[in-house]
Amino acid sequence: MVLIIGGAYQGMLEYALEKTHYRPSDVYNCTRDRVDIDFSKRILNNVEEICYACLEADRNPVKFMAARRSKWANSVIIMNDISCGLVPMDPRDRAARESASRLAIYLVNEADAVIRVFAGLAKRLK
Amino acid sequence: MNVFISGGAKNGKSDFAQELAVKMAGETDRTLYYVATMIPHDDEDRERIERHQWNRNGLGFRTIEAGKNLSQALTDHEGVYLIDSVTALLSNEMFREDGTMYHSAPRKIKAELKELCHTMDSLIFVSDYMYSDAMEYSDTVEEYRKGLAEIDKTLAKECDAAIEMFYGFPTQYYKNEDVPEELKQMAARNDSAARLEKARTFGQLVLDLPESEEDQ
Repeated sequence: MVLIIGGAYQGMLEYALEKTHYRPSDVYNCTRDRVDIDFSKRILNNVEEICYACLEADRNPVKFMAARRSKWANSVIIMNDISCGLVPMDPRDRAARESASRLAIYLVNEADAVIRVFAGLAKRLK
Repeated sequence: MNVFISGGAKNGKSDFAQELAVKMAGETDRTLYYVATMIPHDDEDRERIERHQWNRNGLGFRTIEAGKNLSQALTDHEGVYLIDSVTALLSNEMFREDGTMYHSAPRKIKAELKELCHTMDSLIFVSDYMYSDAMEYSDTVEEYRKGLAEIDKTLAKECDAAIEMFYGFPTQYYKNEDVPEELKQMAARNDSAARLEKARTFGQLVLDLPESEEDQ
C-alpha cells in the first residue's frame, strides 16, 4: 500500500493518477455517510472521511481498517491532512479529526511508501 | 531563480524570503524590490505593514505598492522582486469592494504569475498554507482556498524552487522527485497499456468503417 497525505486541494489524487496510470474510474471517493467502501478500486480517496462514517456507525476507524487490511494492502490510499487548525466545535467532528490522525499513523506504519504532497509536488517520507 | 515559498502563519516565511532576496540581489548587484500586496483595511493591517516595514529597514528594499495587476507594476526586468503575498493578491482580486465576488480571479492571477515566471528570473513568491484543518468553511471560503491552492500549484511548478517553511526550517520540494518504486510497479501492473492498445484497435475499426452508405 502506498499512502499519500497532504492538505486540501494539494493535488494528491492528480499525483496518484499520473504516476500509477490508473484512471478516474479506478478511484473510490470515501464519504462521511458510508462505511461500505468499494475496496476493489485501486485508489481509495478522501480516506479521512471513513472516520466520520465509522464514528457515526459507532465503530473504531483504525479497527475497521485493520480488519480489512487484505482488501487495501495493494492499494493507493489518499488522506487529507485535517489535523491542524482550529478544534472543531462539534464533538463528533472533534472525535473524527482525532481518529483521522490515529488512522493516519496506523496507515503510515502499514504502508510500503508514504508520500506527502505540497502544492502539487511530492516528497517521500517513508 | 524564481522561488515559491509557503507555510503556516508566523513560521518565518517573510524572513526567509527577505534573506533570499537580499542574497540574490547581492550576488548579481541588482535592485531589490518589495512588492507590498496588502491593501490595509484596519489598524491590525496597518500594524502588520509597519512591522514588516521595520523588518525590512536597512536591507535595501524599494517598496512598490501593488495589490493588483502585478505585470504592470514589475517593470524592471533586471530587478529582484519579493512578492508578499500571493494570498493577498488573490483576496484583493476575488473579493470586490461592493461585496461581490470575482470568480475568475484565481484563473486570472494564475495566468498573470505564470507569465511573469516566464519573462523574469528573480521572483520570490510568498503564499500561506491553509489546507490542513478539519473546519467546514462556507462555499465562499472554500472557493478562495481552492483558488489559492491552484495558484500555489502553478507557482510550485513554474518556479525553480518550491519551499515549505516550518517554524523557521525550510523544506524544499522537487519536481523531479523520484517516483516510489511501489507506484511504478502499480503502473506497470495495471493494464492501461493493454487498454490503450484495445482502444487503438477499436479506433482503427471505427476508422475502417465506410463513411457513408454510398461507400458500401
